[in-house]
Amino acid sequence: MLSKLTEIVTRFPKTTIVVVLIATIFFAIQFPKIKIDTDPENMLEQRQPDRVFYNNVKKEFGIRDLLVVGIVDEDGIFNSDTLKRIAKVTDDILKIKGVIIEDVVSLGTSDNVTSEEGALTVKRFMEKIPQAPQEIEQLKKELFGNPFFVDKIVSRDGKATSIYIPIEKKDQSYRISKEIERILKKELTPEQKYYLAGLPVAEDTFGHEMFVQMGITAPLAGFFIMILLFLIFRRGMFIVPPMMDAMLAVCWAMGLLIGLGFTVHIMSSMIPIFLMPIALLDDIHILSDFFDRYPSIKDRRKTIIATMKDLYRPMFFTSITSAVGFGSLALADIPPVRIFGLFVAFGIMAAWLFSHTIVPAIIMLMSEEKLTAFLERRHNKRSFLDGALKGLGNFAFAKSKIILLGAVIVLAIGIIGVKQIHINDNPVKWFKPKHKIRIADSAMNKFFGGTYMAYLVAEGDEEDAIKRPEVMSYIDKLQNHLETLKIVGKTSSIADIVKRINYVLHDENKSFDSVPGKQDEIGQYLFLFSMTGDPNDLDNFIDYGSQKANIWVQMKGGENIQMRKVEESTYAFTETNPPPRGITIKWSGLTYINKVWQNLMVFGMLKAILGSFFVVFLLMILAFRSIKLGVISMLPLSFAIISSYGLVGFLGKDYDMPIAVCSSLSLGMAIDFAIHFLQRFKAGYKKYNDIEATNIYMFQEPAKAITRNAIVITFGFLPLLASTLTPYITVGTFFATLMMFSFLTTLVLFPAIMRLWGKALFAKEA
Amino acid sequence: MKTLKISLVISLLSALYLTPAVLFAEDNVTAEEIVIKSRLTFYYAGDDMRAKVLMELINKDGKKRVRELTMLRKDYEEGGDQKYFMYFHKPADVRDTTFMVYKYHDRDDDRWLFIPAINLVKRIAANDKYSSFVGSDFTYEDISGRKPEEDTHTLSRKDKLNGKNCFVIESIPKETSEYTKRISWIDEANFLPLKEEFYDKQDELYRQFEAQEVKDMDGILTITKRIMKNVKTGHRTEAAFQEVEYNLGVEDNVFSERYLRRPPLQWIR
Repeated sequence: MLSKLTEIVTRFPKTTIVVVLIATIFFAIQFPKIKIDTDPENMLEQRQPDRVFYNNVKKEFGIRDLLVVGIVDEDGIFNSDTLKRIAKVTDDILKIKGVIIEDVVSLGTSDNVTSEEGALTVKRFMEKIPQAPQEIEQLKKELFGNPFFVDKIVSRDGKATSIYIPIEKKDQSYRISKEIERILKKELTPEQKYYLAGLPVAEDTFGHEMFVQMGITAPLAGFFIMILLFLIFRRGMFIVPPMMDAMLAVCWAMGLLIGLGFTVHIMSSMIPIFLMPIALLDDIHILSDFFDRYPSIKDRRKTIIATMKDLYRPMFFTSITSAVGFGSLALADIPPVRIFGLFVAFGIMAAWLFSHTIVPAIIMLMSEEKLTAFLERRHNKRSFLDGALKGLGNFAFAKSKIILLGAVIVLAIGIIGVKQIHINDNPVKWFKPKHKIRIADSAMNKFFGGTYMAYLVAEGDEEDAIKRPEVMSYIDKLQNHLETLKIVGKTSSIADIVKRINYVLHDENKSFDSVPGKQDEIGQYLFLFSMTGDPNDLDNFIDYGSQKANIWVQMKGGENIQMRKVEESTYAFTETNPPPRGITIKWSGLTYINKVWQNLMVFGMLKAILGSFFVVFLLMILAFRSIKLGVISMLPLSFAIISSYGLVGFLGKDYDMPIAVCSSLSLGMAIDFAIHFLQRFKAGYKKYNDIEATNIYMFQEPAKAITRNAIVITFGFLPLLASTLTPYITVGTFFATLMMFSFLTTLVLFPAIMRLWGKALFAKEA
Repeated sequence: MKTLKISLVISLLSALYLTPAVLFAEDNVTAEEIVIKSRLTFYYAGDDMRAKVLMELINKDGKKRVRELTMLRKDYEEGGDQKYFMYFHKPADVRDTTFMVYKYHDRDDDRWLFIPAINLVKRIAANDKYSSFVGSDFTYEDISGRKPEEDTHTLSRKDKLNGKNCFVIESIPKETSEYTKRISWIDEANFLPLKEEFYDKQDELYRQFEAQEVKDMDGILTITKRIMKNVKTGHRTEAAFQEVEYNLGVEDNVFSERYLRRPPLQWIR
C-alpha cells in the first residue's frame, strides 16, 4: 500500500506538494485563535475533588486574586518621610480601577482594634501621618502590639511593609501591576526597594515568557537544526525536505490543537520544540539511504522507490512507537500533559505522512545533474565519522563480554541512583533564580510570614458550629501547632479575631488573650466586630452561616515536600487531638493544589511509562516477529532510561513536572535507534550470513544514519538551554542526555549482544 | 495672549457653574437648603420615634443573615443633638445586646454597647463614616445622618424618579472620605431622599441607596423599606421599618447605662 503511495507521489510530485500545502493552510488559519493558559489550577481536571473544593473555598470565603507589594527601606520605615511615601503609594493604588478598595490590607487602610481609656477603639493605623517621635513610637507600639498584623503588613525588624491588593479580575493583573510599578517608581526614593509578588504577577510573566519561548526558542531550535543538517549533508538543497516536514508537522499539530479550542499551556507550548527534531528523523534516514544508493542507480525515481521500500517498516515502527510514547501521556490525570502527549503524537504521525509524501516529492524536483555531480564526489570521500564508527563497531564486537559486564555494573549504579530520586516541585522555581519573580519571592519570604498560601478548612455539620467554644479553641490549638513548624511563617483565623476582641474588651489584660468559654460570648464578640469595620471583614475567615472556618496558613516555601510535611504533621496532630464532634478538617489553597497535581503526576507518569513500555514491547514483537528480538530491542532504552534517571538521582535534581513528562516519552524516542539497528542487522545478516561481516556492514551506512539522527536530536534540543524558564532547560538537558545514552547503548551494547547471541536470534534468517 | 486665555477659561468656568444657579433661581432654594431640609425630614421626623427594624443582609450568592432590633430615638434639637437606643432580638446569640448612641452637633458621637454574655457595658470609639452598622451595608452615618456642612452641595438638575419630581444634588466631601461623590435624588414634594449613589476613589459607583416604600405613619411620611446595595461586591441589605410610631414621649432616662443592662420593656416589647 505504501509502495503505491510512493509510486503516485514520485509520479506527481508537484500535485503532492500543492495538496499538502492546501491542507496545511487549513491548519495555519487556526493560529490567530490561540489562547494562552497559565492558571496552575488547570493542572487538575475541572471536576477533580480537590479543585472543586478549592473553588468552593475561594467562593465561600471571598478569596480574590492578590497582588502583593513589598516596600523595603534598610534604614527602617518608621520615619515620617517614609510613612508619608507609603501612604501616598497606598492612596494612589486605591485609585487604580479594578482594585477592590475596601479589601486592601496595608498600613494605610487597615483598622486596629485597641482599648483606649476604657473604650474599645477601632481606627486606622495611620489615620494621619505621624510626625513627632512620640507619635511614631505610638504607631510602632500599636503595630507590634497586634499579632494579627506583624509579619503581615510590617516585618518584625521594622524595615519592610507590604500592601495586599485584591483585584476584581485576574485578566486585569498585568495592567494593574504596571500601574502599581509606575506609582512605586514615582513615589519611592531610589534607595527604597520594592517587590511585586503574588500569583497573578507570576502567571502573567509566565504567559509572556511562554510566548517568547514559542516565538524565539522554537525558531532558534529550528535554525540550529538547519545548521546541523547542513553540516551533515553539506548541501543547501537537502535541508529543504526535512525542514519542510518539521515545519508542516508543527503547523498541523498546533493548528489542530488551537482549532479544537484547547488552550496553550506550559506543556503544549513545548510542542513545536519537541516535534521539530523528532519529525525529521525519518527524513534523515531517507536522505542518507538515498545518497548511498543514488550513485549506483542514477535515477531519482528508482532510487527513491528502492530507498523507501527498505524503510517502510522501520519508519513506521519508529514513528508509531514514538507516538505511543507520547500518546501514553493521555493516561495521566493532568489535562495539559494529556493534550501535550496527544498532539505531539498527532504531529509525529503527520510527520510520518510527510516523510512519505512531501519528502520524496521534493527530492523528485531536484535536478539529476546536480545530484549526480554532488553525490559522486561525496561517495568517494571518506570522512572522520566513517573511521570512528568502524573502530567503535570493531571494539564493541571484540570486547563483548567486558561490555556486557560493564553494562550490568552501570545498570546497578543507575538503579541505586533511581532510588535516590526525590519527588518535588515548586512552580515558582520554573523561573530562573535571577528572575525578578524569584528575587521578589525570596525577599518577601525573608521579611514576611510567607507568600505561599494554603488553607485549612474546618467544617461543622450545622450552622453556627464554628462559634462553639471547643471548636474555636481547637482552631486556636491547630494554629499553635502549625506555627511550631519552621516552614509555616504565619497563620490567621477567626479564633485570632475572637481572642483579640476578648483581650481588648478586658482592657488589654493578657489573661483574656484567649478563646472565651461560652458560645453566646463568641457570638456577641463577632457581632461587636461586625459593628466596627466592613461587612465583609470576616468573610475571609468564616462563612455566612458560621458553619465553616478558614485558617490561612502562610508558608515560606512552596515545594511539594514542604507542603506534604505540613500536611502530615497536621494529620499527626489530629490523630492525637481529634477534632470536636461533627468537625472535619481539610486542606486547600494553591500550595496544596500544586502538591495534589504533583502526586497525580507521579502516579500518572508511572502508569504512562508502564503502559507505553508494554505497548512498545508488543510492537517490537510484531515488528521482528520474535519474542526474543522484542526483548533484546528493549534493552538499550531500558538501559538509557535507568542511567538517565540514575543520574537525576545522584545529582539531587528534583523529580519535577518536566522530568516526569520526559520519562514516558523517552521510551518512544529511545527505541528508534534499536529499531533501525535491528532491522538493518536482520537484513544484513540475511545477505552476509555471518555475524561479524554483518557487524562490519552495520557500522558503515546504517550506523552513520543512526549517528546523524543522534546528533540532530541531541543537539537539536540544546537551544532549550537558552530559555528563561527552567522546565524548558530541564527538558532540553534531560533529553540530550537520554538520547546520548540511548545512542551509545545501541551502538555499543548491540554488537556485543550480537556476537554472543546473534546466531541464535537470527537463526530464521540464515 | 495669556490674558485672553485666562479670560476664556474664566468665562467657560462661570458658564459651567452659573448655569444651574440661573436655571433654578425661580425655585429660590439652594442645594445646601435642600440637603438641610431633607436631613430634618428623614432623620429628625417627630420629637421621638420608635420602630422595629428588620434587616436582611444578603450576600451575592443569596445567603442571608438577619438582624432584628427595636430602635428608639429622641431629638433634643432640630438638626442637632439626638439620642438612640437599640435592642437586638436577633440573631439568637446576640439577644439582649443593647446599643446606645449620643449624637452631638459639634463633636464625635458617644456610643456604648452592652454585651450580655459578660455583663459588660463598653464604650466604643469607631469611625462612623465607614464603619458598618451591625455588619450591614449601611454605615452609622447612613443610619443617623451626616452633617450637611461636611460636603459641598450642588443642585445639578431636576429629574423624575418613579413618577416623582426630584432635586438631583451632587455632594462632594470637603475632607477625604470613604466616598468621593454622592448623588442624591430628593423628592421635591416632601424632601425625602429616594435614591443615593456613592462613588469611590476610582470614580466608580460602589454603593446605592433606594427608598422602596414610603408610608404615612401618624401623619409623618416615613421610608419604611429601604435598601443599600454594594454594587461592587453584590452584597446588599434590605431594611424594613415596622410599627413606626412618633411623638411617644420617650423619657430621657431610657438613654442610660442602667437601661442598657435592663432594657425598658415597655418600649422594646
